[in-house]
Amino acid sequence: MKLLISILTLFQFITPSIANAQIHCGLVELVPNTSINELLTFDDFSKYQGGMIINSVAKVRVRVEDKAVVDPLCSWSLTMQIDNNPGAGTPITEWEELTQYGNGLNANPSIDFLEVRVRNACQTSPIDGTFQTFTNNGDLIDIITAFIPVTPADIIPSGSCANGVNGPGSYLTNYSEFNFDIDIRVKPDFNLNPGIFQLNITFHLEENQ
Amino acid sequence: MKKSKVLTVALLLGGLSSINAQLIDEKDVTVTMDLQPVLQLDMTTPNQVEFVFDEIDEYYSGITQYGATILKVSSTVSWDLYAVGRSTGTNGPEFWDQHIDYGNGASVNAIPDLPLSLLELRQNQINNGAANATGAFADYSAPFPPISAPSGSNSLYVFNGTNTPPTLDHKYIGGHAGSTGAGDFLPGGSYLTSSGTASDYYYSIDYRILPGLPAIFPMAFDELGTTAEDIVSANAAGNYAEPGVYTMYVQYILLEDQ
Repeated sequence: MKLLISILTLFQFITPSIANAQIHCGLVELVPNTSINELLTFDDFSKYQGGMIINSVAKVRVRVEDKAVVDPLCSWSLTMQIDNNPGAGTPITEWEELTQYGNGLNANPSIDFLEVRVRNACQTSPIDGTFQTFTNNGDLIDIITAFIPVTPADIIPSGSCANGVNGPGSYLTNYSEFNFDIDIRVKPDFNLNPGIFQLNITFHLEENQ
Repeated sequence: MKKSKVLTVALLLGGLSSINAQLIDEKDVTVTMDLQPVLQLDMTTPNQVEFVFDEIDEYYSGITQYGATILKVSSTVSWDLYAVGRSTGTNGPEFWDQHIDYGNGASVNAIPDLPLSLLELRQNQINNGAANATGAFADYSAPFPPISAPSGSNSLYVFNGTNTPPTLDHKYIGGHAGSTGAGDFLPGGSYLTSSGTASDYYYSIDYRILPGLPAIFPMAFDELGTTAEDIVSANAAGNYAEPGVYTMYVQYILLEDQ
């Protein structure tokens, strides 16, 4: 028992030194961070032919603040990750099937039918303005690249309106850098199983370690 | 001593949970897609296609209405297209409706029951989705046969006056019976995006009626296209079609391959 206590105590002293190294910022948040549901109904031939695009289906607004004692390494990254609920048995490359109309002789839609575009006025993201696709469940696309470990040279301060802005700031004061409009586009094939299908995109904001 | 150990462990766990909290936030966008099956059959055709037989040569050579119906398909799912002959059933479910009987109608050899299958169809484009077909004729793409060699290659599919889909032994315009996933359907698509002079989504339909003389309609065959249904075969030697006015209709049915 004495040995256990000794190990735990030692671990307690070591752990904070590692964990504290990850906290450089006072606040990292998305505003608002509530979920959004978007339904795309393909009930007309022209919708199949031309696809459907929803501009600004979501606005991802970032707010990152320094601590009271400013840490020069306070910076952040933003990613988006696709999820097709594999726990329900969904194949890794397909949309989750909620219901199916007809006999299901054709294929279910693959994940890459969903295209996502990120944009803001300063074009801070390297993928700004270009539709991106995912291939497999869990695929991750960087909107603002993470740096592990972060160094002062990696930080691009807010207000620069440059590619890769990742310093502290807020959509309230630097809207063109800290707001991201999310557009989605789906252009289904003519030979897909009719039915209702679903995907989830998670936008993940995290401070750089 | 025990208390202090418990306190140490509690503090330790509490400390770990707080110091590991890296600042993170997340937001979810869920996209739900409702893919509803859309099948569109655009048809250009006159309300009535009339065949008036008032010359002897028209009985011999028949009357052909070229391109009388244009069928244009748009479908988001795999599909089949077929035609079926129907009437209101005045003379029976598989016969034309007789509206007027010319003359006194006293001749016992004059038969008012004209089979719906006497109408012949010809599609301009071969059915490319009928590899699994097992019947004598998979579609209506054959040339109209001459009167000297009666054939059921183009006789209209009829099934007891109903719109029951044809089987593998019968004729389809596009696709065919069954849902094996190969050789029995045409894939989703549209005439709007097809190019070239031939398309699986565009069909020009010709109609022909050939009464013959005497008027027995030698091109009338059963749904298999193998058993003659002309007036004599269906009745007795010496019988012929009773003069008069008759009507029927052709129903074109586009359905999902299933």
